[in-house]
Amino acid sequence: MNEQRRQILEMLADGKITADEAERLIDALERQQPESPPGAVSRPKPRPKYLRVVMNSSETYGDGPTRLNIRVPLQLLRAGVRLTSLIPPQALTKINQQLDKSGVPIDLTELRPQHLEDLVEQLDEVTIDIDDPDSQMQVFCE
Amino acid sequence: MIPQLVTVRYRRSSGRRRRLYVPVVPVLLVLSPLLLLAVLGGVIACLATRVSPVGALRGAGRLLWALPGTRFEFEEGRTALLISVR
Repeated sequence: MNEQRRQILEMLADGKITADEAERLIDALERQQPESPPGAVSRPKPRPKYLRVVMNSSETYGDGPTRLNIRVPLQLLRAGVRLTSLIPPQALTKINQQLDKSGVPIDLTELRPQHLEDLVEQLDEVTIDIDDPDSQMQVFCE
Repeated sequence: MIPQLVTVRYRRSSGRRRRLYVPVVPVLLVLSPLLLLAVLGGVIACLATRVSPVGALRGAGRLLWALPGTRFEFEEGRTALLISVR
């Protein structure tokens, strides 16, 4: 029993308020602080499991509008990201050289699997909405 | 969990529809001799490229285990393709 409810009952016992008034006060108290069922623990928001990409386009390249709906488990992204740790260093060096030649000076040897996993972890919060007159695209986690 | 069923559905522009239900475990069992050869080939390729074969097998296993729930749906006019892994 919480403190405010006890005070109301004490006031009723002392005769300061009537039973009717006590009932109204308790009702008001319950409306103000809805009681959680006993044993219930406030659960954190469930973590998203899937990355969704939804695209609707009314532009007609073929024989009608285009619709795309992709659902990828985040676990699959994590598994894919872990595979990057298998790339041998000599291959990474070659990729770096080619990237450099193409004008993209990114050093992939500095990219650790842990960084990529952190990136996937933060995808939970990502929501991208692109609204174009002819097409809509949404990227989100669910 | 390993994928149980892969569903492939497609609709051609002519309106012809096709549905394919692929039960993964029975198909893997039937193709196990070929699968064994493929794994051996993969291990040799890993050794040739100095990639850890154990790590590669573990990575492939993780990918396989994470596949259930994947869904790819594409539609363009009367042509449509759906691939769903359960």
